[in-house]
Amino acid sequence: MTTKIVLPSGQVVYDPRGRITVAPVTPAPRPPSLEAIRLGVLTNSKWNASQLLRRVVAHLEVVHSFSSVRHYSKTSFSSPADSDLFDQISKEVDVVITAIGD
Amino acid sequence: MTATPPSDNIDLIEWYFERGWTDGLPVVPPTPEAVAAMLESLGGEPDHLEARIPPRWGSLTREVLAVNLVLAGCLPAYAQVVRAAVLALTSPHFNLNGVQATTHMAAPLLVINGPIRHEIQLNSGANVFGSGVRANATIGRAIRLVLLNVGGAWPGDLDKSTLGHPGKYTFCIGENEEASPWAPYHVEQGYTAEDNTVFCLAAEGPHSVTNHVANDPQGILDSLVSAMSTIAHNNAVSSGACAVILGPEHASTIAAKNWSRQDVRRYLWSNTTNTYDDISFGGRYGQIYNRNLPKWYKREKGARIPIVPSPDDIHLFVAGGEAGRFSAFLPGWGHMSAPVLRELDGRSLARDTCIDGTCEL
Repeated sequence: MTTKIVLPSGQVVYDPRGRITVAPVTPAPRPPSLEAIRLGVLTNSKWNASQLLRRVVAHLEVVHSFSSVRHYSKTSFSSPADSDLFDQISKEVDVVITAIGD
Repeated sequence: MTATPPSDNIDLIEWYFERGWTDGLPVVPPTPEAVAAMLESLGGEPDHLEARIPPRWGSLTREVLAVNLVLAGCLPAYAQVVRAAVLALTSPHFNLNGVQATTHMAAPLLVINGPIRHEIQLNSGANVFGSGVRANATIGRAIRLVLLNVGGAWPGDLDKSTLGHPGKYTFCIGENEEASPWAPYHVEQGYTAEDNTVFCLAAEGPHSVTNHVANDPQGILDSLVSAMSTIAHNNAVSSGACAVILGPEHASTIAAKNWSRQDVRRYLWSNTTNTYDDISFGGRYGQIYNRNLPKWYKREKGARIPIVPSPDDIHLFVAGGEAGRFSAFLPGWGHMSAPVLRELDGRSLARDTCIDGTCEL
C-alpha cells in the first residue's frame, strides 16, 4: 500500500492522497415510468431546499399522476440521513427526490 | 552551502504543483530520508491506518501522513501534534465531512496547550494568529494538506465554501499559559498542566475586539459582547460553540478584579443582545422558526436569543503578546459540528481536581 513512485529519472516521489478503499455503491434501476408511482420527497431541512422541492413536486404533478406523495426531512442538513429513515423511505415510496437548497 | 540537484532530476516543487497536490504554495519535496524520519516520529508501521478523511474518504496511513507532514515543512517533533489534531478532527461529532464541504467559511482552528508548546517552540505570544513561526505555520499547513490531498477538499470541487478564509492555509495557535492569570484551558477541562492537548473548533476568522479605556471586567467584556451580538455570524443562526481569545492585558485587568474564567463566560453569555426580532428580521420574510436554534429558545417578540446555548459553549483562551489591549472573537460554524479536545496520546480526562468551578456542571 505504498505511496512511493519511482520516476524515469530514478527520483522517488510520493503520492500524498491516500487510497480510497470504500466500495462503490450501485444506483437502483431507473423506474420505466413515473405514472402511478409512490413519490417521496426528502429535504435536507434547509429553508430553501424545502421551497425548491415544493415547486418541483408542483411542476411534476402537472404532467404525472402519482399514487401518493410523502415528505421526509433529515435531522441535520449537514449529516447523512439516519439509516432508519432510509429503510422507511425504501419501504414507503418507489422514487425519492432530494435537493440541496442552501 | 547550496546543493545542486543532478541535471536530469525534475523540479519536484513544480511536479507537485502540476498534480495539484499542494495548497497553492510551494511544497517541501518529500525525500525518502525525510519521509522515513517523519514516519519514525509517528511510531513506524507505514500501513497503519490512522483515519479516513472525508469527503473523499482517502485512507490516511502513517506513511501518507508522514508525506503530508514533510510537504508542509514540519519537523519530526511536530508529528504527534498533527496526528492528534487529525484524530480529533475525525471524531464523529466534529462532523469533518460537513466542515469540509459547507458553503460557510469555517476552517478547523487548533489551540495547543501543555509543555509541548515549548518543546516545538509554538507561538502563543505576539502575532499569535499571524505569520513568522514554523511550528504554527507548518502544523496548520499539514492539517490543510491532509484535508486537501486525502480529504479531497479542493475549492469548488468537494470544498463548496463560498468565501473560505485565510485560516484555510494554517490556523494553529498556542494558549499563552505563562501570561494567563488563570489555569490553562486544558486544566480547566480536567487535564493536568503536564498534559498536552489539542483543541479543535470549526471557526470563522478572528474578529478583533479593541478596548483601550476600560479598567474593569465589565467594560472590556462589553466590547466583546458588542462583537458577539450580531446576527451576521453563524452562531447567531446556527447556535453551536465559539471561541474567545483574551489578550494578556485584557485578561490581567479582568482577573485583577477576582473574576474567574467562569465569570467571564457567564457575563459574555448572559449579555448577548440579539433578540428574536433581530434574527427573524422583524417578520419581514414571514414567520421564521429556525430549527437550527435550540427548541427551548422563546420565539416571540423581544425574547433574547443567546448566540450559543450555554456559557460553556464559549471556549475561552488567553493568547497574544504582552502589550496591547486587544482580544478576539471567533464564531463557530454552528450546532452541526462540536468542538473536540484531545490529549496527544488520546488519554481521557482525569477529573481528580475541580478547577475554576467547572466541576459543578
